[in-house]
Amino acid sequence: MKKLFLVALVASFSWACGGGQTHPNMFATDWEDDGGKSISAVLARIGATKPPAGADVAVGVAGNSDKVVGVPLAGGNPWTFAHGVDVRPTIAGSVVVAEGGGELFALDAASGKKLWARQVGPQTMRGAGDDGKITVVSLDSGGRGSVLLAIDREGNVARQIETDKALGVPAILGGFAFVPWSNQYVSVVDLTNGEEAGRVLLRGKVSHAFAASGSLFFGENEIFRFDDKIKNASRNQATRLALPQRELPGTPSLMAPGEDKLGPVAMALDKTRMYAHPNGADPIGFDASRFYGTYFRMAMAFDSGTTKLAWVYNSPVDIVGGAAGPSTFALCDESGKVVVLDAATGGVERELSLGGPIKSCTVQDDGLAASTPQPPPPLSQQISAALLNRDSEMVTGQRLLLRELATLEDETVTKTLVELASNPLTAPLLIADSRTALAARRTGANHMLAALAKHYDFLHDVLLSPPVGPMAQALAAMKEKSAAPLLASHLLDPADTDEDVKQAAAALVDLGGPAELPALKQFFKLYRAYPDSEGVAAAVVSSGQALLAFGGPEGRKIVDAAITDPLTVDALKSRLKAVEEQADAQKTQKK
Amino acid sequence: MKRHVVILATLLVAQGASAQTRTGGGATTNTPQVKVSATAGADLKSGDTTKIKAALDEIRMAGKGTGTPFAPQIVELLQKGVTVQLAEAAIDTLGDLESESSSPAIAEYMQHRSPRVRQAAAKALVKTKGQAAVKALVKGLSDQDGMVRGVSANGLGQLKAKPAVNDLFLALDHRVTEAGISIGMICGAQECEQLATRIGKFPLDVIAGGLEQALFRADIADDTKIKLIGRVRELGTKEANGALKEWFKKWPATGSARVKQALDQAVQATGGGS
Repeated sequence: MKKLFLVALVASFSWACGGGQTHPNMFATDWEDDGGKSISAVLARIGATKPPAGADVAVGVAGNSDKVVGVPLAGGNPWTFAHGVDVRPTIAGSVVVAEGGGELFALDAASGKKLWARQVGPQTMRGAGDDGKITVVSLDSGGRGSVLLAIDREGNVARQIETDKALGVPAILGGFAFVPWSNQYVSVVDLTNGEEAGRVLLRGKVSHAFAASGSLFFGENEIFRFDDKIKNASRNQATRLALPQRELPGTPSLMAPGEDKLGPVAMALDKTRMYAHPNGADPIGFDASRFYGTYFRMAMAFDSGTTKLAWVYNSPVDIVGGAAGPSTFALCDESGKVVVLDAATGGVERELSLGGPIKSCTVQDDGLAASTPQPPPPLSQQISAALLNRDSEMVTGQRLLLRELATLEDETVTKTLVELASNPLTAPLLIADSRTALAARRTGANHMLAALAKHYDFLHDVLLSPPVGPMAQALAAMKEKSAAPLLASHLLDPADTDEDVKQAAAALVDLGGPAELPALKQFFKLYRAYPDSEGVAAAVVSSGQALLAFGGPEGRKIVDAAITDPLTVDALKSRLKAVEEQADAQKTQKK
Repeated sequence: MKRHVVILATLLVAQGASAQTRTGGGATTNTPQVKVSATAGADLKSGDTTKIKAALDEIRMAGKGTGTPFAPQIVELLQKGVTVQLAEAAIDTLGDLESESSSPAIAEYMQHRSPRVRQAAAKALVKTKGQAAVKALVKGLSDQDGMVRGVSANGLGQLKAKPAVNDLFLALDHRVTEAGISIGMICGAQECEQLATRIGKFPLDVIAGGLEQALFRADIADDTKIKLIGRVRELGTKEANGALKEWFKKWPATGSARVKQALDQAVQATGGGS
């Protein structure tokens, strides 16, 4: 028999003296799928009752995890509540529930006013739901299963249920507690009698029940709506909403497993999260057609239909929490700043403060009305700002953004790519990506020309040569003749890499003219006898090709002499001969 | 075979001669006439790396004077293009021949991709001198290779390239320490004092080397020298005392009595330095 206790308790309940009566069917694993019968009955009993809109608020843990701070997202006075925090606060409807020092406590989300507190000893909160009157809380019993509490606004425990199962984050609606467990079930507990009034088997991982947009949802990485289709859930026909497949840095998740305890201090996983706000309408979808991802100091918004990057928000410090709303996206960073962004454009609507640095943050944005945002810069500039952040922690996210940037034709994109590839402080992976992207550019030639004018210069702190090779490829493709003298000067720059020299010489075959002959001749002569790499050898051949193309009789003479000179490397001789033959054939064709 | 024996013998003579006649500063005096084989000129044009190398060695050992007529041919060789090994040998040889007309050709090799070739070119340019040399050495201060930067900085001092003094200060501030002595060799009064302001920012020996150069120059006024001594004296350390003592000892008997007195007082004042 499964261990199970169900107890109706009085206000004087204490964790240490809890007990209860057994209820053999509650959370039973030998339950047989009833084809949606019981859940349909629950739905009918709930009728038109809808979850009230949750408070739009940001709540943080501050100090030495010894105070809870909050600020309404619509603006208003921030509040502070001094209390030790061992479990990160959660926002349930209009209530903030947290735990510290063995005490579970609830605050009014808008004002921070204490509603109630209860001793729970070593039990740790997993999550909570609230319907405006009753708060349901699931707690881990310290490895001995779980406790579900239903607590009224006076702090009276209206219902306590103990089980050996690991319960997820519950919700409450119409006097029923919706309790996810075992990653697949949601049991519905009638709080008036403590009976399991219904159960639904979902074909997807489920450890959270939550209210949003006036509806109830279940899920973890995908979302199922509690509506008239829920009866078909076991046949995988519930109203379901999954985040579109999209490459995101850090493989973030929408929700942490509901059974996990969230400590007071934000971890890396809290900084690499996904956010989305499901709507309550048909067809189901994400509000504002947006889903969001955070990666340390950046937040990205994507179109939920096309998965295309819509905008990027750059934060000066790590983003530790947030919430998607119907038309806004609210974020809080570790400095305690809360930013409300327009979901459509990413423009800043509002900036608020939690009063100082925070350890972690939880946000709820369920009905915040949109206001006029500040116009954001163009997407290319948003991405550029994110890419120019030198924090090495950002590289994975920056690589993704760089690929996004490269798809934009804006000329300033070229400028950013040049800057990234030319800066010794840029992460090597980003330099390589920038170079690849630069080679494929077909806009922004002026930025490339400006970059080519620079050379390695120790005394003037130019400690990395510009990305000559990729720019040579791009400029040749753009037939940008004005690049020729600059490329010629790079032929003779020993600080340029062999690959860069190779590409510069190749581009000069197409772009060069008589003005570039001195540099081409010098390069050809310097290395025809000792090309110490394939890159330089290829550059010598290209130089020879250029001399033949526009060097006139003298150019021909130089190449001829090199072919017959014993000092010229044999492998080069054959390649130069081939180039000569090709040039001769082309001249014959022209005649 | 016979030819190789001749070359070996020539080299041995040349080395002996060289050992006898090199001065501390690297300049040669009364170099004995070492003959260069009659085929040397043809060998330089042979396209045979062994023959070219041997000819270059011969000419180098013959040194300035006997070898000088071969400079144009070696320049031509460099201008045609050779292997890295031959380029180094040719540049070294031209350096020893000290022919200013070869500076432009050597200067081109300051842009070679091999750091060793660039190092050889910088060293040679210090000997071949001229505007082309100065220009290339100024550029060499910004080279990627530390040794090229150092040789260039040193060379600009030896070439008394006064217009390069600001570049040398920039180099010094970028930790090209060789620039310190060179600045001391070419600085005007104000620039010498500017060098002294670097005391405390760099190890004393870096700046003291430059100040010593200025101190013993005839074209620097006593007042400036006394100021420089004062700067070192202000430091008050054991190292400062050591440098001042050294300068005091070296001060020529015919040198300024005022400066000598300033040195003497500075030595005494810093005697208890830590």
